[in-house]
Amino acid sequence: MYNLPASYQKGKLYYKKILEKYPRLVQWVVVPMFILSGAFITNGLIILLCGYNPIQAYSAALNVSFGSITGIGETLVKSTPFLMTGLSVAIAFRCGIWNIGAEGQFLMGALSATWFGTKIATLLPNTSWIAIPLCLTLAVLAGGIWGVIPAILKVTRGVNEVISTIMLNYIAIHFVSLMIDGGPLQEASKTGPQSDPIAHWVSLPRLFDSHRVHPGIGIAVVLAIILTFVLFRTTFGYQIRAVGEGAAAAEAAGFSVAHNTIRVFCLSGALAALGGAIELMALTPRLSDSFSPGYGYTAIAVALLAKLHPLLTIATALLFGALSKGSFAMEAEVGISKQVTWMMQAIILLFVIGLGSVQIFQKRTSK
Amino acid sequence: MDTETVLELQNITKTFGDLVAVGNVNFELQVGEIHAILGENGAGKSTLMNLIYGLYEPTDGSIFISGIKKQFKTPRDAIANGIGMVHQHFMLVENLTVAENIALTVSQFSSRSGAIMPENDAESQQYVDRNIAALSRFRYKTDDAVQITESLSKHYGLVVDPNALIRSLSVGLKQRVEILKALAVDARILILDEPTAVLSPQEVKGLFNILRRLQEDNRSIMFISHKMKEVLEISDRITVLRLGEKVYNGKTGELSARGLAREMLGEELTEIERIENNTTNGLVLNISSLTVQGNRGEMAVKDVSLQTFRGEIVGIAGVDGNGQRELAETVMGLRPTVGGKVEILGKQPIGTKNIRQCGVGYIPEDRRTMGIIPTFTIAENLLLNVPHLENVANWGVIDQTIKHHTSTELIDAYDIRPPIADIPTATLSGGNQQKIVLAREISPQPDLLIAVNPTRGLDINAAQYVHKNLLAQRERKKSVLLISTELDEVLKMSDRLYVMSRGELIEATEHRDDIEALGLLMTGETDTDV
Repeated sequence: MYNLPASYQKGKLYYKKILEKYPRLVQWVVVPMFILSGAFITNGLIILLCGYNPIQAYSAALNVSFGSITGIGETLVKSTPFLMTGLSVAIAFRCGIWNIGAEGQFLMGALSATWFGTKIATLLPNTSWIAIPLCLTLAVLAGGIWGVIPAILKVTRGVNEVISTIMLNYIAIHFVSLMIDGGPLQEASKTGPQSDPIAHWVSLPRLFDSHRVHPGIGIAVVLAIILTFVLFRTTFGYQIRAVGEGAAAAEAAGFSVAHNTIRVFCLSGALAALGGAIELMALTPRLSDSFSPGYGYTAIAVALLAKLHPLLTIATALLFGALSKGSFAMEAEVGISKQVTWMMQAIILLFVIGLGSVQIFQKRTSK
Repeated sequence: MDTETVLELQNITKTFGDLVAVGNVNFELQVGEIHAILGENGAGKSTLMNLIYGLYEPTDGSIFISGIKKQFKTPRDAIANGIGMVHQHFMLVENLTVAENIALTVSQFSSRSGAIMPENDAESQQYVDRNIAALSRFRYKTDDAVQITESLSKHYGLVVDPNALIRSLSVGLKQRVEILKALAVDARILILDEPTAVLSPQEVKGLFNILRRLQEDNRSIMFISHKMKEVLEISDRITVLRLGEKVYNGKTGELSARGLAREMLGEELTEIERIENNTTNGLVLNISSLTVQGNRGEMAVKDVSLQTFRGEIVGIAGVDGNGQRELAETVMGLRPTVGGKVEILGKQPIGTKNIRQCGVGYIPEDRRTMGIIPTFTIAENLLLNVPHLENVANWGVIDQTIKHHTSTELIDAYDIRPPIADIPTATLSGGNQQKIVLAREISPQPDLLIAVNPTRGLDINAAQYVHKNLLAQRERKKSVLLISTELDEVLKMSDRLYVMSRGELIEATEHRDDIEALGLLMTGETDTDV
């Protein structure tokens, strides 16, 4: 037996009691706090090792991300693709589908929007009220189709979706390159590997003159709220969770795992693709090779840190938006090199995935 | 036989939070004794065994092995002190051979230092040490392992093929391997946790012969069971636990079966009232020439025909793994047929959803993976089938008030504890989890109820509760198909009786009073295991 002082035991018990009493507090606040502080301390050490002042670096990052209206607006803008792809991953993982393909689906959405914006929109009357919804619908369809491919492979052939979605990411990435570098979507002047800008009536308008806040942010937040309702208040969401947390029990209950896999994969792909289309239509009017810095992969961390809860995904997406904004600030104002800030972002991801996913997998394997 | 005490527990107590799982238990095990531990589920039997086996550390009290005080922090400590355990759920690597499994156990021990060793057993000690030395070398030699396994099984008369893969063995043989594993490190005290739960009557006989042989070898055996008949047959001494406390200890035969039951339950057993009822009108389930493949491509169900009618319980007895599970899953649409057909109320619905909507309830054998979702709340698990879910939903949106009402109603009616709709089901006991399944599957009063091992792992009271609910279905003129490996249960409950063996279904209603004949049917007549 351990001979711990009584006071320690008592303190430990008290601590335990609080944790047991408020499981949600632990799940949603305590664990994420531990993860984040671990990551920030490690990163602080790295900044120190590189010869900079971590406090100064962090305060610059905070200041730029949240210190001004423009900064906050820019953080929101940066968060939107994380939120859309994060929701895509969250809904798939909830159903026990390990969709690693948000990146490819995001790109296919952007590609379809580029095609529509450069080739089709010019044939239509120049009204945003028709062009924008059409363009978004097209992206949803493209993403849905890109998501259905691994779903059908999984359901009919038993192909592991992790492998098939990674392969589809490669296909999407290189297909985009092909299209904009010598392909039919390359800019008319043929100077660089990028497309022409999309027609201005397909672009999402800016809500304010001073910064780039656009209606896509609202779409993403509303989708997060709708998905929360779907997951926890509808029969569809109930089935998604039942299949994800107990496939055999769901099958015995009469819910088809195959049907739900196809439906959810389709939905997941559509969400990521919508994110890609919004990003293109609101920010970069041209599609280029550097369009996505890996949003679809980071999305896995976004979703896992949010415990696959769509509402919490809003918060974690904001965090990732702030992080990417903040690393620009550290680079610009403190002089920390790009490589270091990228490393630091990756360290945060490692902490999140390493600690955050442990919980998820424990939950799934505990039966 | 001398009465030397090999294991003694003094005032052993184990608490989990506020719960006293085992309270102040004193216990003595003699050399060469078969000592039965009787008790309901939750009486503390498993906790007591886990304390002896080093899986738990006692909160209070001490353990003495041959008079020396010991502390077991892990099962390794217990094994090193000569304690072996045969778990209810076998701890074997299915994809390895018998010899490899035994080598795996033995290789973890470099020596048997500290073990209790009667002096006349020096030879056996040397023998075991030699085995350990051979198998704990870095390089594993198949021949050594096979040879050691063979000589072990010859020494103790436990015949098993050392080169057979575990997954190809019957349950009875797997159990033998478990016993061999314990003997390979020379266990002087053998703990058997519900060893007969999965065996056919013949296999039980075989096991008892083995136990008697081990007894002659001066090994001590703790036999945990809640099957009265077997306990009375095999044991020398009986200890009864109730609610974590020792309530009785005495020589076998001092108390009658009824007396022991009274000690176990604290009250007289209430027998189920049965009304004889033979008006079999109205065909419900009609299976004709059904053939189904098992998971490994074998024919698990072979040309089975079966009919069930309104107002009857049809029982299918049989040893685990003879196609019962596959039969039930096929009727529920969870498994494709190779040949034949399944008709329910004259229709042939396709897919589990349609089958359930035809009015079929299903109590699957595997509660924790097929019956409930442990991470779901009680309320959510009460909705876990298509008709239930559709009842609480409007246009696909779950009506929270209706959901709340149904769940509180069912929790109340089926006495699910704790009666809190919003806690995860994983925190409930097995019996209460089963009540959730019952509440969900029986409350809509399905025309056909398929119940597979509905009382597995439940204590007597909970099992009786299940039986009452099945009989209630019968009284409502519904049809029940009861598939169970508990022969007593099938005999007690069913109007018509079948035995399933190696995928074939044999009508056995006329043999219901002849256990021997049933046992032979269950093991497929030619029985080589005994």
